[in-house]
Amino acid sequence: MKPNFPEEFFYLSLGEIQAKLRAKEFKVKELTEAWCDRLESRGPKYNALAHSLRKPAMKAAKYHDKDFKRERFRSPLHGIPYGAKDLLSYADHPTEWGAPPFKGQVFKEHAKVISKLEGVGANCIGKLAMVELAGGGGYRYANASSTGPGLNPWDITRWSGGSSSGSGAAVAAGLVPFALGSETWGSILTPAAYCGVTGLRPTYGLVSRSGAMALSWTMDKIGPLCRTAEDCGLVLQVIAGGDSDDPGSAGKSFYYTPEYVRPFSEMRIGWNPADLDAVEDPGVRLALHEAVQVLLKLGFQVKEVKLPELPYGTVASTIIGCEMASVFEPLVADGRVQQLVDKTQAAGIVAATDYKATDYLKAMRLRRVIQEAMGKVFDEVDVLISPSRGGVAERISERLDVGGRGRLPLGAAGNVAGLPALSLPCGLAQNLPVGISVVSRAYQENLLLAVGKQFQAQTDWHKRRPPLPA
Amino acid sequence: MRRRDLASIFLTAVPVAAQTPAATAPDDLTAARERVRGAGAELAKIAVPMATEPAFQFKAY
Repeated sequence: MKPNFPEEFFYLSLGEIQAKLRAKEFKVKELTEAWCDRLESRGPKYNALAHSLRKPAMKAAKYHDKDFKRERFRSPLHGIPYGAKDLLSYADHPTEWGAPPFKGQVFKEHAKVISKLEGVGANCIGKLAMVELAGGGGYRYANASSTGPGLNPWDITRWSGGSSSGSGAAVAAGLVPFALGSETWGSILTPAAYCGVTGLRPTYGLVSRSGAMALSWTMDKIGPLCRTAEDCGLVLQVIAGGDSDDPGSAGKSFYYTPEYVRPFSEMRIGWNPADLDAVEDPGVRLALHEAVQVLLKLGFQVKEVKLPELPYGTVASTIIGCEMASVFEPLVADGRVQQLVDKTQAAGIVAATDYKATDYLKAMRLRRVIQEAMGKVFDEVDVLISPSRGGVAERISERLDVGGRGRLPLGAAGNVAGLPALSLPCGLAQNLPVGISVVSRAYQENLLLAVGKQFQAQTDWHKRRPPLPA
Repeated sequence: MRRRDLASIFLTAVPVAAQTPAATAPDDLTAARERVRGAGAELAKIAVPMATEPAFQFKAY
């Protein structure tokens, strides 16, 4: 008899699903089939699914069932389905980067992160939608994708965020237990905040980008979007690690051990009150204020900090623009850039070829200055907190290329300096999720995850579910 | 005119395009180019000590 998976099952954490698998409440094959059905039927309602991988996933599930029968458990992710942003290659299946010029593109090998997850028994059931070419050229509307605008499961008239649009929406709607996304400047934290899920941007170089579309070699990072901070730690432990195929690899591993961080009472949390003042929506401000109060109750000492006055946004956009211009030079040269859905993005990529070498080098020298400045900030505090976004998800019809799009200075500074960040759901405003970000020094992911775990022990925002689709 | 002179005229008269910029909406392209110029100008205004090296590393292997 086929097991019955109630609606709430699809919102369980990875640990809870794994416990049920090991208790033999159902088989991996049944689990995989249930998630594939859900992703295929509901994914298109949110424009979240790029390609289903049901066939290879069901094949792998049979092997995993043999392992479970013999009680050969490979990892906490063994047998668990997940989705991957369509920027990551999956061998012999389409990897289209959300962009019409790359329709039908197929690679021969998996991206390194997908191979690593496969090695511990996690099962990729679908490629998830994304903003075309990860949006590096700058885009005007949420519609900038070959799969259409990413629709937010909390309100489908709103955007799910970008560029990991499908990853955010799919986790929020319970279409996958976890997803992989990527961030160059905001592409994990934004969909995580807008969709009410937990998103981790790892330190630059900690996770291999081999097999991932390059947008900006010195700024691209791959990370998980999950239901909880703990789940993010379990996924990061698998995907992190050195890789000689990625020139940016730091050669470091990660072991999820949040229990070994120093007591919070010995640590300082830094925040800039101006960040809160910059938030216009009173509901968002209230949610963030209450989140800060929860963090204070965890025992942290608080210190007000102000980031040094440096051109974080200009440095970030110049580095991304210059590297993107080089990556997509063939697309501009043969005119295929015009096939992009969003013409503003096409113009941005063409215009980026105007950058001068001295602009790039100046930005990279200023990057060193920013890294040193951030280092000094972290001499004073252990973690920084900031709103993940300046507001709730935009309406689908809203222009995204005006008013800074709710970007805050810490987002640019953190990405330019390659620092890790964790976005935690911390409230609702206008019935839409609000996220708060925690940022630390490089390679302090365990500290971020410990903060996230304790925050989620005190709150239930990560357990809230969007309404069922019509 | 010798053949060699004729050849030199043809060779210098045909410029080799590095790439053909694709046509985009003129307003969007003008605005995007303005942003690129603006970013360059903003960066140029900031003094950085001469000893500050760029933040990337090339590792020989």
